[in-house]
Amino acid sequence: MRKNVSLILILCLSCLLFMGLKLEIDKVSRQKIPGSSIIYIPSGKYLKMVTFGFSSLMADLVYIWAIQYFGNTTIPDKFDHFVHIFSIISELDPRYVDPYEVGALIALYDIKDVALSIKLLDMGFAKNPDLWIFPLEAGHYAQLYKKDFPLAREYYKKAMDIPGAPDITKRLYANAAFKVMDIKTAWETWLEVYETAKEERVKKIASNHLYNIKATVDIRGLRSVLEKYKAKYGRYPDKLSGIVAAGLLLFIPKDYDNKDYVYDPKTGDVKTAVIPWKR
Amino acid sequence: MTIKVIALNTFKEAVRDRILYLLLFFAALSILVSRILALLTVGDRAKIIKDVGLASISFFGALMAILIGTGLVYKEIEKRTIFTLISKPMRRHEFLLGKFFGLVLTLLVMLALMSVIFLALVFFHTFSVEWKMLLAILYIFIELILITAVAILFSSFSTPILSSLFSLCFYLIGHFSWSLETLIKKIPAGILKVMAQIVYTILPDLENFNFKAEVVHGLTIPPQVLLYSAAYGFLYTVFILSLAILVFRRRDFI
Repeated sequence: MRKNVSLILILCLSCLLFMGLKLEIDKVSRQKIPGSSIIYIPSGKYLKMVTFGFSSLMADLVYIWAIQYFGNTTIPDKFDHFVHIFSIISELDPRYVDPYEVGALIALYDIKDVALSIKLLDMGFAKNPDLWIFPLEAGHYAQLYKKDFPLAREYYKKAMDIPGAPDITKRLYANAAFKVMDIKTAWETWLEVYETAKEERVKKIASNHLYNIKATVDIRGLRSVLEKYKAKYGRYPDKLSGIVAAGLLLFIPKDYDNKDYVYDPKTGDVKTAVIPWKR
Repeated sequence: MTIKVIALNTFKEAVRDRILYLLLFFAALSILVSRILALLTVGDRAKIIKDVGLASISFFGALMAILIGTGLVYKEIEKRTIFTLISKPMRRHEFLLGKFFGLVLTLLVMLALMSVIFLALVFFHTFSVEWKMLLAILYIFIELILITAVAILFSSFSTPILSSLFSLCFYLIGHFSWSLETLIKKIPAGILKVMAQIVYTILPDLENFNFKAEVVHGLTIPPQVLLYSAAYGFLYTVFILSLAILVFRRRDFI
């Protein structure tokens, strides 16, 4: 019995001591190279080989680790291996959508690199050509943060062609086409949206865009003819019908609602009677 | 004296075990495979060799401790040789400690063999004997001593399969328990936080013996960490062994 008591004492004492030591060890900071174990791995392909069929689990673990790692504000060079880390996750589990999207957000808001953000989404799209979310987001980033409408249009087109893409993709594509002044495509796409829309709200949006496209084309044409008139007569005509009387135009176009454009003879300015978005 | 005799006999018994050589073979193979892995990388190849080599030593060492340690006491009970032993003028704790030290000696020899292969491979790459690697290996050995104690503890009351499973769980928990700290930080202050803190300090933290990254990257290790970690390993081993002796003393063999 006495033997057992002394043994229990040793047991309790050693337990208390190692618990205390553990807390002491935690207080001493050890030098660390965050992410070093991942950086040296050449590629996710080779890592996949050693996961013994648990590549998806490994992708989860690397992703969770990456989130903690990039969220750590004390590491100044944490973004040096950004693409490498996300390519590892992509190789381990190519269908894992979150890492591409979250990676793109980190690249956009933390690294402030839109091109890098789009690169990650491209990576996701290359591995998942059936998912419209990647080109849609890439187009969105290109439009909003790069103001690169030709690029945005390309991405929206890719997203639009994937079955299951939301209706808004077509509207974004039509808008981007208008921004790059591809009037024909913009008109045809908005017309298609108008004709196929089930909601009144969407019909109205499409109708406003169609109004705007027609007005833009008409006003551009009228302005050009008005400049020709001014070059010939040294002034703008008193009324728009003056350019028809001068034989410079066959007829004065009307807006999408069959109303007249507003003309200012002093400046030669032509405007729509209403703001297209407030019709 | 009795402990020494049992330890030497355990050592002789363990080195006759085929599983030990099988594990040693795979450990050596794994260390040598690091050479191939190094070819696939871009940059510092020696780093890959050191990483894979040290990981192999640690992993196969733990397997040796678990697979051999869990059968040691159970075999004596199953083969009924324990009756002959306990009828001798020998205390039960001497039997258990003898088994423990015998296996620790076996692991020391195995670790030395693996280290020689590893250091030789590193030498062929860097043309220098990297003695600092021995520091990481020393702490791997301390970790193995603790795992051996755990294997003996489970072996004293359970079957080898279950004991291996439990010991493996201990190994895994030991290497993941540090992540509890992150969880504790997120728990609001209160009873739950205190309980989590207690669990965190009681659970084994085998990462305290992990100096592989520091050694490979040539980082400075604070001396108090080395000292505290060694003391932590010693005290945790004492704790586990005391528990094993307590369980073994209460065990009825008939």
